[in-house]
Amino acid sequence: MINGLVQLLIWQGLGELVSILLWPNIPGPVLGLLFLLAFLLVKGEVNQPLGMVADSFRLHLGLLFVPASVGVILFLPDLKTHALAVTAALLISVMLTIATTALVLKFFAKRAHDE
Amino acid sequence: MMNERLPIAEIWVYLSGSPLFALILTLATYQLGYTLYVKANRNPIVNPVAISVLLATFCIYVIDMPYQKYFEGAQFVHFLLGTATVALAVPIYRGCNSLKGKLVPMTLALLIGSAVSIGSAVGIASMLGAGDNIVGSMYAKSVTAPIAMGIAERIHVSPTLTAVFTVATGMLGAILAPFIMNFLRIKPWWIRGTAIGVGAHGLGITRAFSVNEEAGTYASMAMGLNGVLSAVLLPVVVNYLRS
Repeated sequence: MINGLVQLLIWQGLGELVSILLWPNIPGPVLGLLFLLAFLLVKGEVNQPLGMVADSFRLHLGLLFVPASVGVILFLPDLKTHALAVTAALLISVMLTIATTALVLKFFAKRAHDE
Repeated sequence: MMNERLPIAEIWVYLSGSPLFALILTLATYQLGYTLYVKANRNPIVNPVAISVLLATFCIYVIDMPYQKYFEGAQFVHFLLGTATVALAVPIYRGCNSLKGKLVPMTLALLIGSAVSIGSAVGIASMLGAGDNIVGSMYAKSVTAPIAMGIAERIHVSPTLTAVFTVATGMLGAILAPFIMNFLRIKPWWIRGTAIGVGAHGLGITRAFSVNEEAGTYASMAMGLNGVLSAVLLPVVVNYLRS
């Protein structure tokens, strides 16, 4: 388990380094993700400790954004004032996003099928 | 005995000054939420993150602990967000095999999907008169939380509100997606998976995996690709819109 974590931290560190030095627009962890993906594509397999740690992160990804979300306490008055705007924006937007993405794919799948 | 009554106040001062209290609060509330979630057959309404956030927020409100103080302790959990982002490479890699021939439609669908997501959320929020803080935090809400917060820092909006909107989006998406798909009569699992990955990120994936393995794989990949594309493009788009 430690082995997999070390691998991830090293890729993350590399990403942070490149982000600070060369490409400040992109968050370091995203660059780390891309580097690791490139590495995996070249290697052709996920080693077992890495796969294990990655799976447990995926399972409990939600835990990691609790600390930041608790900060909602600082915004409660603001959110209360604009409760309608926030609810409407989130609700309508998520429905449109899912519907549009699915319809675009359906369109392409149908076209590929017809050809 | 000079001091037979244990000075509970002193223990409290010690505990609340160390990171321990915030860590216990974060992990224990999440554990409770997760247990309830599993008990409820992984119903997306019983969301462990939402339960944990509600309970933890309520606790620090009741004991009057400043958020900054809480975060000092909880930052150890927060730090791992970056590491978890890097770990997303694994599900993307695993999905790559099934991607052949679908890369172009998927990229296009992702781009159009996220454009709709941002356009509608930002548009509706600003039309209904929400402040800059709220409107700004709508940009990255369809991206998986760790990346969304990285983007929020880059485009100078509140990472906190972004995280909250992201969690809410994931919950709503995971609950509503099956109804939307059935209404639109979309059957192929890979399309259903991709759409839920774009619209409802992490929680959508969990939902997709519980229904169908193929849908879950595509959802993971869609979420990862969406995150990467958004991280690259959003700062550029936002800077352009603001200039």
